[in-house]
Amino acid sequence: MWRAEFLWVMISLLAIGSAWAETASGEKAPNAQLPKLAFGQSVDNVTDDDLPYVYTEWENFTEEDGLPNDHIFAVRCAGEKVWVGTEDGLACYDKKTRKFTVWKEKDGLPWRAVTGIDVDPKTGDVWLALFGGGVARLSGGRFDHFHQLNSGLVNNVVYGIAVEHDNVWCATTAGASRYNTTTKEWTIFTEKNAPMEEIWNYNVFYSPEVNKIFLAVWGSGCLEFDVPTERWKVYLDPDREMEIDLFRDDGIIHVITTAANYVGGALWISTYFGQCRYDGRYWRGFYAHETGIPSDFTNALRARSAQECWMCTDKGLGVVADYATDTYVSYYRNGDDPAGRAEVFRQGRKIKEVPLKTSIAHNFIIAMDFDGDDVWVGTAKGLSHGIGRGYYPGVKRHPEWLDKINAEGKK
Amino acid sequence: MYRLTAVVALLLIVVPFYTGAAVAADSGPTVGTASRTSANPEKFPFPVDEYTLSILERINQAGPYKVPQLPLRIDPVYADTPKELDPFGRLTQPFKRHFLTQMEYTGPGRGIPEPTHVDTVKIGFLGPIEPTVSVATGGKSHEENLGKMMLRGCQLAIEEANAAGGYWRRKIPFELVVRNDNGLWGSSGDEIIRLAYKENVWAIIGTIDGANSHIAIRVALKAEIPVINTGDTDPTFIETNIPWVIRVIADDRRQCYLLADYIYKKLGLNRVGIIRASNRYGRFGVREFRDASRRLERPVPIEMAYFVGQQDFSLELQRLADAQVEAIVHWGDAEDGARILNQMREMGMKQPFFACDRCLLDDFVKIAGQNAEGVVCASPWNPARNDSRLEEFRQKFKARFGCEPETYAAHAYDGTQLLIWAIQLAGLNRAKIRDVLATRRDPWHGVTGDIMLTAVLDRASDAYLAVRENNEWKFYSREDLGLPKEVPARCVQVSQN
Repeated sequence: MWRAEFLWVMISLLAIGSAWAETASGEKAPNAQLPKLAFGQSVDNVTDDDLPYVYTEWENFTEEDGLPNDHIFAVRCAGEKVWVGTEDGLACYDKKTRKFTVWKEKDGLPWRAVTGIDVDPKTGDVWLALFGGGVARLSGGRFDHFHQLNSGLVNNVVYGIAVEHDNVWCATTAGASRYNTTTKEWTIFTEKNAPMEEIWNYNVFYSPEVNKIFLAVWGSGCLEFDVPTERWKVYLDPDREMEIDLFRDDGIIHVITTAANYVGGALWISTYFGQCRYDGRYWRGFYAHETGIPSDFTNALRARSAQECWMCTDKGLGVVADYATDTYVSYYRNGDDPAGRAEVFRQGRKIKEVPLKTSIAHNFIIAMDFDGDDVWVGTAKGLSHGIGRGYYPGVKRHPEWLDKINAEGKK
Repeated sequence: MYRLTAVVALLLIVVPFYTGAAVAADSGPTVGTASRTSANPEKFPFPVDEYTLSILERINQAGPYKVPQLPLRIDPVYADTPKELDPFGRLTQPFKRHFLTQMEYTGPGRGIPEPTHVDTVKIGFLGPIEPTVSVATGGKSHEENLGKMMLRGCQLAIEEANAAGGYWRRKIPFELVVRNDNGLWGSSGDEIIRLAYKENVWAIIGTIDGANSHIAIRVALKAEIPVINTGDTDPTFIETNIPWVIRVIADDRRQCYLLADYIYKKLGLNRVGIIRASNRYGRFGVREFRDASRRLERPVPIEMAYFVGQQDFSLELQRLADAQVEAIVHWGDAEDGARILNQMREMGMKQPFFACDRCLLDDFVKIAGQNAEGVVCASPWNPARNDSRLEEFRQKFKARFGCEPETYAAHAYDGTQLLIWAIQLAGLNRAKIRDVLATRRDPWHGVTGDIMLTAVLDRASDAYLAVRENNEWKFYSREDLGLPKEVPARCVQVSQN
């Protein structure tokens, strides 16, 4: 009865209360409307002149530049190559020659829509998640095709793929499959043998740092699989309600998850309702209305560290640029104009707007990956390359990129 | 100071709506037939109101990069949930409420040009029409009877549209591309992909099973294709924030709210047990009833699950009897429900029997016989109401297929007609079809009643109760039952900022 809900509320309040008590800044923000900071965050020693790195140099690629299709579903950087999965074909961009190599169905690609890509660091094989076509391996110029009828792949609608040691993990719409490339053995994970309340897998990520697989499962939150012990851990929305987020920072914010990344000791999770971060003890939720991230509707995310994570939203590219100082950057394109802007926020307050002569290709962002200091972003209308010349993590007072922008403005 | 700002902001939003100027207040173009400034205004061969014309003008001007300024629905509460049933409502207010503001589509789809040549305007159909084994539905398929009626409803609407001239711009017929969703291992996803990428349909109607529907809409979101659902009453179906999905049937949440009010407030019962199918339909169907019971301080003392097609329910029923329940709520198929009811009566259990809308199907009464007398079922609509449009549909359906239409046929007919209306207006562009559906302001006058959408594009209509009296089903609204629901005025539509 409702007393059970009361009990749950009290337990949650106690847990959150203790988290606040340990908040680094230790006190309420001077402006009561500013979002509260979480554990590990402080704005005490920063001013509006302390800015994160802002990508001010962008170049964009579309079908006119050699892409097979402008609707980008997946991006994966591997050395000198950038692999791009589109709604109608696979592309590989060679950074030295600045040329695309393209594969369509007529070139042997088993199915047109490529929704996930990973590269085996040991063999160089490229593994492809095919949206309705199963899985493909591109090796030695040849495609090998794995699907429901010739393998242990649980479903042909594959959203994500990740290489873990000799295993390839596939996030499908009816469970996860693991293929051992040496023994040729397939293992299927569904509600029968994994804690999946629903089996609608949406994304998969391997973290060598902790030797764990992280599955984002639509309707079932995030599942963590410990590779050595083969044990599962589940992250669910504590309030168990679809239509609300009961308390701020009480756990994963919604069970409709789209991606999970674990980097530098922090687990980042995106949903269609916002994003969140877990450091092993404390949760922090990120909503557009209090961060400056363009939207809560997040197709995917990619974490660079425990401090920095990039959010692919339907209204722009959002970045938790420096978690410690609650600093965010959002990138936008200005409609038909290829120019755009970057907006820097701290504690939900815009502290800088940076005009960009060329911005991201489109505001509907679907995928991204890091390439050293550079970033590659897949949008619904083209591929974007952000050049990270002089990139730095965290924040910096009077950074070089700002001097350059100011100098250009005076010309 | 902040309160003052908030009040001013609220007034700015609400006042235009109540003065009827909400749409006109939009910063986008306000146009009508007489004042249109578009270089090449289209002459529709059927009446189109000024509001819809202004929507069309905005979406046609958008292109791939701009997001048109379209009105968005804003609901004061989600799914008309009464205050007393608000999750954790007795204790606190949530940090954030979802589903109150309509999602936008911000992708480039509006910029995709229409194909130069098509022979037909294809509409996809996904439904359970062939028997098979389905993991999602927990074993042998069992929804073909519903799926076939759904298919007939769609077919009738398509045939009527073609008899009236088909797709007016190109003088070509509409074509229903039919796919079965009963396959193994979530193959409904495969079918949606084939419909989207191989058949190149413009929108999809489907389906009934909750798991298959979820799989389908995940694909639709990525492939960017509108889905109209006419038969899945799973409350979570629409709780996914997908701007491509519309549902035109009242869901189990609304049915559960009404059942809970009737059982606890009208009848004054206190201990109600649940028996449900061990599948997604049963599991999610009763969830809102269970939650409502707890929030009304009458927690469900026992919930029993059974396998679809089970013949002997003595174990489950004995447990319910041992729990001394005063009534039983069943959520599952008609045949199973009838067998449970018969066995209850054989065991001497005289508790009132309440059930979901599937037990309104003829099979229930055929199997239950006189035991059906007094049974109360929730219903997503009122098929007994006096409505010439409904009567006309019944006659046409009977003439075409030789049987009476039921819930799934009627809702499919409405959903297909609504979709055809949107295609006729928007043209052959999936994003624009979505826009026209998502921004419809006025109720759609369907054979199942007026269809008004919520902020999550779910049907806003309240449910009904059907009581078996003198060998026929009598339908009662909340008002008939003296159970008005106290929720704020709903479905305000305001302009996007």
